[in-house]
Amino acid sequence: MRTRSRRTVAATFVALAALTLSSCSSSGGRQEDEAPAGGAAGKADTPTMKIAMITHAAPGDTFWDIVRKGAEAAAAKDNVDLNYQGAPEAGDQVNLVQQAIDADVDGIAVTLAKAEAMAPVVKAATEAGIPVVAFNGGFEEWQEAGALGYFGQDERTAGEAAGQRLTTEGAKKALCVIHEQGHVGLEARCAGVAETFGGQTENLYVTGTDMPAVQQAITSKLQQDPAIDRVVTLGAPYALTAVKSVADAGSSAQIGTFDTNADLMAAIEGGDIQWAIDQQPYLQGYLAVDSLWLYNTNGNTIGGGQATQTGPAFVDASNVDRVAEFAAGGTR
Amino acid sequence: MSQAVQAAPAPPGSVDDRVRRRSLLASVLSRPEVGSLVGAVAVFALFFAVAPTFRQAASFATVLYAGSTIGIMALAVALLMIGGEFDLSAGVAVTTSALFASTFAYQLNLNLWVGVAAALVVSLGIGAFNGWLLMRTGLPSFLITLGTFFILQGVNLGVTKLLTGNVSSTSVSDMDGFEQARAVFASTVPIGGVSVKITVFWWLLFVAIGTWVLLRTKTGNWIFAAGGDKAAARAVGVPVRATKIGLFMTVGFMAWFVGMHQLFSFNAIQSGGGVGQEFIYIIAAVVGGCLLTGGYGSAVGSAIGALIFGMTSLGIVYAGWDANWFKAFLGVMLLLATIVNMIVKNQAAKR
Amino acid sequence: MSTPELDAGAGHSPNQEILRLEDVGKSYGNVHALRGVSLSVRQGEITCVLGDNGAGKSTLIKIIAGLHQHTEGRFTVNGEAVRFGSPREALDRGIATVYQDLALVPLMSIWRNFFLGSELTRGSGPLRRLDVERMKRVTEEELVKMGISVPDLDRHVGALSGGQRQCIAIARAIHFGAKALVLDEPTAALGVKQSGVVLKYIAKARDAGLGVVFITHNPHHAHLVGNHFVILNRGRVSLDAGRGDVSLDRLTNEMAGGAELEALSHELSRPGSTPEPAAAGRTTTEN
Repeated sequence: MRTRSRRTVAATFVALAALTLSSCSSSGGRQEDEAPAGGAAGKADTPTMKIAMITHAAPGDTFWDIVRKGAEAAAAKDNVDLNYQGAPEAGDQVNLVQQAIDADVDGIAVTLAKAEAMAPVVKAATEAGIPVVAFNGGFEEWQEAGALGYFGQDERTAGEAAGQRLTTEGAKKALCVIHEQGHVGLEARCAGVAETFGGQTENLYVTGTDMPAVQQAITSKLQQDPAIDRVVTLGAPYALTAVKSVADAGSSAQIGTFDTNADLMAAIEGGDIQWAIDQQPYLQGYLAVDSLWLYNTNGNTIGGGQATQTGPAFVDASNVDRVAEFAAGGTR
Repeated sequence: MSQAVQAAPAPPGSVDDRVRRRSLLASVLSRPEVGSLVGAVAVFALFFAVAPTFRQAASFATVLYAGSTIGIMALAVALLMIGGEFDLSAGVAVTTSALFASTFAYQLNLNLWVGVAAALVVSLGIGAFNGWLLMRTGLPSFLITLGTFFILQGVNLGVTKLLTGNVSSTSVSDMDGFEQARAVFASTVPIGGVSVKITVFWWLLFVAIGTWVLLRTKTGNWIFAAGGDKAAARAVGVPVRATKIGLFMTVGFMAWFVGMHQLFSFNAIQSGGGVGQEFIYIIAAVVGGCLLTGGYGSAVGSAIGALIFGMTSLGIVYAGWDANWFKAFLGVMLLLATIVNMIVKNQAAKR
Repeated sequence: MSTPELDAGAGHSPNQEILRLEDVGKSYGNVHALRGVSLSVRQGEITCVLGDNGAGKSTLIKIIAGLHQHTEGRFTVNGEAVRFGSPREALDRGIATVYQDLALVPLMSIWRNFFLGSELTRGSGPLRRLDVERMKRVTEEELVKMGISVPDLDRHVGALSGGQRQCIAIARAIHFGAKALVLDEPTAALGVKQSGVVLKYIAKARDAGLGVVFITHNPHHAHLVGNHFVILNRGRVSLDAGRGDVSLDRLTNEMAGGAELEALSHELSRPGSTPEPAAAGRTTTEN
């Protein structure tokens, strides 16, 4: 009995190994000579500068990945020693900033998604003589908190841009899919859409961590209300799932989305998705680091005291070729 | 002293008049899934009445799809709960399996079927590890699988990031084997003009097999015994250890199956997915009549529990109720289903 | 192994030895739970093991049942030295153990419990399935044969009385061809009448040719059915006697602590009162 089961195991392994060796994929798969992502510009000869980047990102979010890549590209160019940290809880984020102050870094780039909680520690940093820039979150509050500049997109403005686009397209009824209930930024995007869109806007909450559930919920909404002719999602993976829902429900709704990734570019090229609003996360990370370097080496402030808007920029059939190239490298 | 014994050779039922042979109705009512069936009918009737779209065949196909993606895992989780254990890693294990299959095949440029097979080995391995560690340490499965949950969550993210530089796996839709694998795991079957997802049929098949195993095989007897009274089961020679490890591996198998469904329906997998799903599976199993303490429950019940969950989550959309309240509605529905379940069970016990 | 063998011992000498323990001991690290215990169990006889809490009774059972292994001495079954790795091995040797509290799985039906671990099946390969009809029929036959009546075989065991549960467990052990039956305090949690019913079944098992190890701390129950008596005290044998060599009074007295108790009763006695009956009375009500 024992020897037989052992033989079975061995046979399974041999079979698996044989399969592995003989069954290479002729298409797709990893290409051996992929170029490393990110810019490889020259390097500044200024002394090494320590900069801390502290975000409110939860681990595992594509968007923040791109922000980080931008920051790392700027750090490499500017001879900066970048320390990237993220904490979704405001309290933890405050602690991380405090730690950066204690470590006496040369600059801090911080997201002010929870501006009220962050303002005191930002003040503490500026009082300690450490320049602080805000990015991504805090469009309304960065000046009051004492930051030198702001790089990002106002979520509400981005939503309004989307709403205007829907109106121009002549849409009648839009469905705004929120993949995380109670998320301020996402709610602001949908509120912005509703604000400027001439037609009707309805919000749908889905469980972002369960993709089949997202698909089912959008399908059921489209079945319930055939009048919906636009689906607006707030993240690239959800837009791709919405494509399947539209097909399942037999709806003719068109899809627009916030944020991008490589697969989404392909979907725009293929015509499955009409447009995406790009807030250029790479640029946010890049400018945040670069502006601190400029401030420390030459006293410049990017934006000259005004917020620097990195979005909303539309990616659609007219410009997708240009952007897709970079999205494939994971930097757009 | 020996009165009862003297009277005993008479036909059963005539001796102790405090317990009578139960009526057929009472026997039916004592099945674990009956309460959830009543709950399911109530939820169905409610949405049938208030949501016109809910009455369409296409909508019902969507509800069944929702039931299937939860129900396939809920089945394995229910079997495990009958066997007296929990698996908190069940949700992320789905993501792990899908990520492993796609990453393995992609990185080594292999046919996707090799990735699918390798992911099966990994998923079964995770289940076996959970079971083995549980039996080895004697710690509560709650703690052990909570550990596995965090480990898998971290590995999903860490490895994906390391290999792809992104937090989602690379799309595999242009690789060899994709079309066949999609036909098996994620295709659509038209029935009388309605498109039904293939997972619905797999789900029904798995539930049928699960019911057969539970009620009509030795293994099923051992599952009930291992969960009902581990020590008593061991004392009469039931291989409790093997049974429990097998149950964890069943969860691994189903996680693999659902993982493959997700991979071949969405082409790319978000490495942070699956978190929180483990509780949905447990809820479906409990609504379906499984006891949290083990030793009691049914496979059909888990399916009904998953269907209630699917009907509720989509019924709210079909009914056009204010989406802000979605989670609250869901909670109320689940509580009601559980309470109805309990009342029915108590009524049955009184007969 | 599933055929009923109620009169398994009919063709053999009624006094053939089944189990034998010689100087068996068990230590957990530095703690000696059991030392130098010798006893023998013969076909068609009941060996009673008595002892107070902590005397080593449960360790003894676990060694015989295969849950623990002895660390000293010799344990033979039918003359062959054994050291069980699991309860299954003990069962395969014909040793069935019925525990006081974990005899049956409460949420499973009577017939499922009866065949638990030794299920009857039909068909083969993937279609191999439980033979439910046959299992129910055999269960009913066996219970009736033992004089146990239950209302409904599909009823959960948890709904039955303690006595009924013990009886079902004993009937199960007999049905599965046990040569030796180890009963762990079968009467401890029962009322007077229920205890009587269980003792009656123990006698039936003996008459069916089984060797019975009856573990109890009630000397009255032991004396009603026992052929041999072994009293354990702090992990050692303090009395080993046949039925003819020991009276109920002596048994009660030994069980209660023997000499120690006598000394205690002298200490506590007042002039004019007789200590012995008082001591005996105290022990019997102790449980």
